Amino acid sequence: MNPLAVRAGVWLLSVPILIAALGFGFKGLAAVDSSLFFTWGYFLEVLIAGLLQGVMYSLVALGFVLIFKASGIFNFAQGSMVLFAALTMVGFIELGLHWTLSFVVTVGVMVLLALAIERVVLRPLVNQPHIILFMATIGIFYFLDGFGQTIWGSDIKVLDIGISKDPMFVAQGVFEGGLLINSFDLVAALVGAVLVAGLAIFFQYTRVGRALRAVADDHQAALSVGIPLKTIWAIVWSVAGIVALVAGIMWGSKAGVQFSLALIALKALPVLILGGFTSIPGAIVGGLIIGAGEQLAEVFLGPLFGGAIQDWFAYMLALVFLLFRPQGLFGEVIIERI
Amino acid sequence: MDAETRTEAAVDARRPGPARAIGEVLLEVKDVTLRFGGVRALSGVSFDIRRGEIRAIIGPNGAGKSSMLNVINGFYQPQEGQITFKGEVLQKMRPHFAAKNGIARTFQNIALFKGMSTLDNVMTGRMLKMHSTWFEQMLYMGRAKREEIEHRRFCEEIIDFLEIQAHRHTPVGKLPYGLQKRVELARALAAEPEILLLDEPMAGMNVEEKEDMCRFILDVNDEFGTTIALIEHDMGVVMDISDRVVVLDYGRKLADGTPDAVRANQDVIDAYLGVSH
Repeated sequence: MNPLAVRAGVWLLSVPILIAALGFGFKGLAAVDSSLFFTWGYFLEVLIAGLLQGVMYSLVALGFVLIFKASGIFNFAQGSMVLFAALTMVGFIELGLHWTLSFVVTVGVMVLLALAIERVVLRPLVNQPHIILFMATIGIFYFLDGFGQTIWGSDIKVLDIGISKDPMFVAQGVFEGGLLINSFDLVAALVGAVLVAGLAIFFQYTRVGRALRAVADDHQAALSVGIPLKTIWAIVWSVAGIVALVAGIMWGSKAGVQFSLALIALKALPVLILGGFTSIPGAIVGGLIIGAGEQLAEVFLGPLFGGAIQDWFAYMLALVFLLFRPQGLFGEVIIERI
Repeated sequence: MDAETRTEAAVDARRPGPARAIGEVLLEVKDVTLRFGGVRALSGVSFDIRRGEIRAIIGPNGAGKSSMLNVINGFYQPQEGQITFKGEVLQKMRPHFAAKNGIARTFQNIALFKGMSTLDNVMTGRMLKMHSTWFEQMLYMGRAKREEIEHRRFCEEIIDFLEIQAHRHTPVGKLPYGLQKRVELARALAAEPEILLLDEPMAGMNVEEKEDMCRFILDVNDEFGTTIALIEHDMGVVMDISDRVVVLDYGRKLADGTPDAVRANQDVIDAYLGVSH
């Protein structure tokens, strides 16, 4: 049998078992400690909200994965690219463009930005150690941060592209009062799914995808088979810019376009550690686990610790993961011949 | 049969072969000087490579052999001199131009895409021969599908040829050294090169692996008619398989000619064995 199918089967089976085990665990805890509250309906509701929140994290994590996959660089500037993209998009809308038109223009701006980064930052640093390139991305972070706010201002802006934010109630027959699902999060999840599927296919099955993976492994070898380094970098940063734009739109219309958008990058970090820095599906699965994990922990364990564990739970989960599986769930196995 | 006679048998079986016609000059470097700051890696080196031949570049450590190869495929751009490739005179080569026009190479310290499988590594060698757009490739339809199948078939043939079928799906980082060298050769061959540059293809190999590599190099030259320029330290191998040898020392050309002529050259003997003043 196909080993991939076996692995997929194991995953599909273990997920509901794990969820059920979590549910029973929380239920047991609630029976012991009176400060906790548990019903299955409530549990599912929190779980779904957490998973949807997780997709939002994945959207940000994706941008990191793209650049890491193709150049081995942790792009510190990804967060500020999200902010910059969102600011630009809102800026053009405020200038009177329809949001679709503004989206197209912003995609153009992000591609230009990628070309500029390749020309000004990456090209002079070919063959430098990764740490140098990483530090260069810190520079890009501060530049974009200041540049975006200089052009578009630093007020909190509203981005509305007409996605309904009404809550939905489903499965009212099964659970009392039904399950509340935020329809905006549902749309975001769909967008995320489409994006991930597209990118995964792009990386796995196209010539450019193969070239991207090759460049990440060895610059010189890539040059020798005729892969144009500059073009590849421009493509990767453009795609990462467009992913940043999508993340910026989603987060921006959910929480407003403001400086703190640049900081959601921090939430992407545990997602990456969990999913693996080099895996696109890993970014999604990592996001789902982090999102669901922190919501469930907050609601069903939080009262035991005096609340507000959501802020650090993700990092702790990532830390535990680092101990047992440093390459993440789907990351490339670290090969070392001695 | 012991190792030596086997290599010789392989060599004897092949030459002189009627199919192996050595043709016109395919690539010529003329008065190439390459400096790194104050260090002269190459000073006024000229030689040519003819179509269909196996051309060896030898010399003591630091003689400028790898630099020469890097000039030919465009990794280094010389300050002086010119390169004539297929009749076209160039001031300097560019890696992309070289790859596009049929110059493929391997490296002294293996440069493979370690995280990718053997097959994927070999497929990167076909990169420049694929013409479908990324959009077609994503949908895997039309030209993209035809192309992928066609190129995959070609790569499989090369994988068969170099006898690495069993490692097709193994990430190359996991393969032993000798096999990695072979995968690198496979990737270079996938590009159907006119000139194949091999930088120490047998470095660090045991006798058996060296024999295999020798056989592959000769077969490639015979069956595909590929012109080969190689750097090698094992004199026995060089003298056995190459048609002409150019000797470098301290960035200068010391001698150029058939293996026998080079072997008899006093300057070469001095450079290799040292000379008393």
